[in-house]
Amino acid sequence: MIEVKNLEKAFGDLKVLRGITETIKEQEVVCVIGPSGSGKSTFLRCLNLLEEPTGGEIYLDGQKVNSPEVNIDEIRTKLGMVFQSFNLFPHMTVMGNITLAPIQVKGMSKEEADKKAHELLKTVGLEDKADSYPRSLSGGQQQRVAIARALAMDPEVMLFDEPTSALDPEMVGEVLAVMKDLAEQGMTMIIVTHEMGFAREVADRVFFIDEGIIMEQGTPEQLFSNPQNERTKGFLSKVL
Amino acid sequence: MQEYLHGIVIALKGVPITLAVSLVAVLIGLVVGLLVATAKRSRFRILRIIGTIYVDVLRGTPLLVQVLILAYGVPQIINSLFGVSFHWEIKIVIGFVACGINSSAYMAEIIRSGLQAIDVGQSEAARSLGLSSRQTMRYIIVPQAFRIIVPALGNEFITLIKETSILSMVGIVEVTRQGQLWASQSFLFFQAYIGVAIVYLAMTLTLSRLVNYIERRMARSDRS
Repeated sequence: MIEVKNLEKAFGDLKVLRGITETIKEQEVVCVIGPSGSGKSTFLRCLNLLEEPTGGEIYLDGQKVNSPEVNIDEIRTKLGMVFQSFNLFPHMTVMGNITLAPIQVKGMSKEEADKKAHELLKTVGLEDKADSYPRSLSGGQQQRVAIARALAMDPEVMLFDEPTSALDPEMVGEVLAVMKDLAEQGMTMIIVTHEMGFAREVADRVFFIDEGIIMEQGTPEQLFSNPQNERTKGFLSKVL
Repeated sequence: MQEYLHGIVIALKGVPITLAVSLVAVLIGLVVGLLVATAKRSRFRILRIIGTIYVDVLRGTPLLVQVLILAYGVPQIINSLFGVSFHWEIKIVIGFVACGINSSAYMAEIIRSGLQAIDVGQSEAARSLGLSSRQTMRYIIVPQAFRIIVPALGNEFITLIKETSILSMVGIVEVTRQGQLWASQSFLFFQAYIGVAIVYLAMTLTLSRLVNYIERRMARSDRS
């Protein structure tokens, strides 16, 4: 579904990604772990071109993403993204946040978009917050709204960029629960995370990224219980 | 006492002109300022340079000098360059143009700082949902920036009301000019200019209260 070939990204002289090649299959749940500054968020942000790769190729369903000919806005509708800092639109209600893109980008009618938004809010357990403004919600609630907002576009893949890192500890569980449900429904997901327990439980595969490359990848059992690479061992010994 | 009251009444006669010039200038300033702010944020270096020069020149020279150039310098240079006789038929237009252009430089900076104040995560979130850069500006960035810049825009309007007094120098009969004319007739300079001052104060105080009120209302609707 997503194919990445020799992906590179440099900021000036700083090479953040130094050649990543991977294929992510439909319905696969991939967790990306690694030390901070290793390039894992950049990898994720390259997939929907929030960062422009400086080398290599990205394909979505066989179509090259990082090419001047493609309509990137259209590609992005297929790649839902959830951010560490939620990034809800503060001047809009929860409903406004969720229905904006379906109405403006997909041309959905307001009634249809509202109906869908209500359904999504139900699945993330926030049906009663439809008319609230983001600032009146807790961090965990805001992040669940952000997930609903991304899902409203019916994406093929969901990208999560450290979705629980900005949350108070007691709110991490509610967000992870929503993500786990999503994984069980067969959503293709790529999750950059520091939640090793979650990665172990939910991921089909885990990528360990360090120094801009995938140092090691495998099933959670392989990677967490029997890491081969010295860097992976060193990292895991610090975080587990 | 009678003379002071008369001074106020005389000055009041100039209020329509002063307010008209200020209002038109603020609208011109807003539109041109938006263009200049956009130029200064452009991908193209040449546009950014033009925008920077525009703002620097207009903020770095006195409004009085700009008004004099426009009122007396421009007609003369048009006459000598193109051989056509040009003079300002309606003097108030000088006020519209000079104050509007001058204000646009300040507006451009206000708008630019407002746009800059919006977290980059907002546009990233919008773009990641598939909104185009234009839609992102329209639905996400501009509405939020607008709330931030409303107080500054209000202050710019208030400043402009005071600055238009400069137009009295080129024969536009606004509040200050009304006072001047009466003073030179009656020789009641103190009464005339105190009247002028009171009228400006009444306009600026009213407006600053109005700006505060709008600001509070916007803050409230943000919280609800």
